[in-house]
Amino acid sequence: MTISLETLVGQARGNDAVATRAAAKLMSVLENEPQRLPEFLRAAGAETPQPRLILGITGAPGAGKSTFSDALIGEYRRRAPAQKIGVIAVDPSSPFSGGAVLGDRVRMMRHATDPHVFVRSLASRGQLGGLTLGVKGVLRVMGLIGADVVLIETLGVGQSEVDVARVADIVMVLLSPGQGDSVQLLKAGLMEVGDIIVINKADRAGADELHRQVLGALKLQQGTAKRSVALVSSTEKSGFEELLNRIEDHGALHPQRRRENDIGDIREAILEAARRRIIVRLKTEPTLHAALERVARGGEDAESLVQLLLKDGDAPST
Amino acid sequence: MHASSPHRILIGKAGLDGHDRGAKYVAHILRDAGLEVIYTGIRRTPEELVAVALQEDVAAIGISLLSGAHFTVVSRVIELLKENDATDILVFLGGIVPESDIPRLREMGVACVFGPGISARVIVETLLDAIEKTPHSSL
Repeated sequence: MTISLETLVGQARGNDAVATRAAAKLMSVLENEPQRLPEFLRAAGAETPQPRLILGITGAPGAGKSTFSDALIGEYRRRAPAQKIGVIAVDPSSPFSGGAVLGDRVRMMRHATDPHVFVRSLASRGQLGGLTLGVKGVLRVMGLIGADVVLIETLGVGQSEVDVARVADIVMVLLSPGQGDSVQLLKAGLMEVGDIIVINKADRAGADELHRQVLGALKLQQGTAKRSVALVSSTEKSGFEELLNRIEDHGALHPQRRRENDIGDIREAILEAARRRIIVRLKTEPTLHAALERVARGGEDAESLVQLLLKDGDAPST
Repeated sequence: MHASSPHRILIGKAGLDGHDRGAKYVAHILRDAGLEVIYTGIRRTPEELVAVALQEDVAAIGISLLSGAHFTVVSRVIELLKENDATDILVFLGGIVPESDIPRLREMGVACVFGPGISARVIVETLLDAIEKTPHSSL
């Protein structure tokens, strides 16, 4: 059964009991079928706002990302009580069963009944690029319901998760004491994505030393990207006022960059739609399947098959 | 692969008892069965459980209860689901629920009750069957 996106968009804009439900359903549609993003944009209209500021939060398991998000939500709610804040929390799917336990909410439950906070948990679902597009869809719905700031929390361990963090205006990489020595900081990956390196668990032994090591490591880095370092304790909620000032000073991406990203999203949606159709056709059309087998045996070039797929586009809808 | 996106299920504990082994066990077996579980942890209120269920667009809410408060918790959860036009979200229970209370709970709208010793396979099959049979407004 397919509900029209227009109906859901209309309901989600309301203020009654069904608004949350409709927004949540829109998020499900765009997560499950991210290629429908253009359809959503048409339904929502060009003047629909996007979140003012998108913050990426990444870091190794156990770095304290969810507790940090909880404290950051609290600080934003204190400072701007009239504003809505969104959270997109991504946890890994099992590569074996495809299932997932999404547990980031446990640390944010004090905000559960706050109508100004909308938290959505997503499983990574092992998608190539699809996760990023799904997250963009959820972000658009967050904009539709008037979220001012949206936090995206991801496990900073895989390429797709790092890509998700890059969707943000500002990426914060969380480090905490006791997670390895200074050589870890030299390794490629995490530290390079961060605009702000956040040393979490400042209340614990070793935080100051880690702070010094990070500052030292940043001095070694060449290039122009300016990264700053912040020291916070999420459990004691210290250091957040200063961190928020720094986030707000940093601000959103340049409008031009955002526009380029918007066009990139549509390109991704079109590629995703095409990919899905091609998969169905290769599976269901005997002539295409036979051609696939000939190419696999080395008997034919793939180019003719590509030509064939691009030429006639009357595919069954997904 | 998206023709069948995984069902999303909320698992949480309501009331004051803090024994979450059962809830975690069920979260684990649902994950292994390919479902996506939103886990909320212990000592949740009905208001919190329903608020999370709505935002997460789940197909079902699983509540683990060992405290004997099942009538109080369930009636409030179902009331809140009605208020929010969300009665297509299933409610199921796990934990310690006396056999004699089950008919009344089912009458109130509880889809299934899983007591101690029940097998993982039965939980998954019963739950999936109940979800399939629910007229769903989800897409």
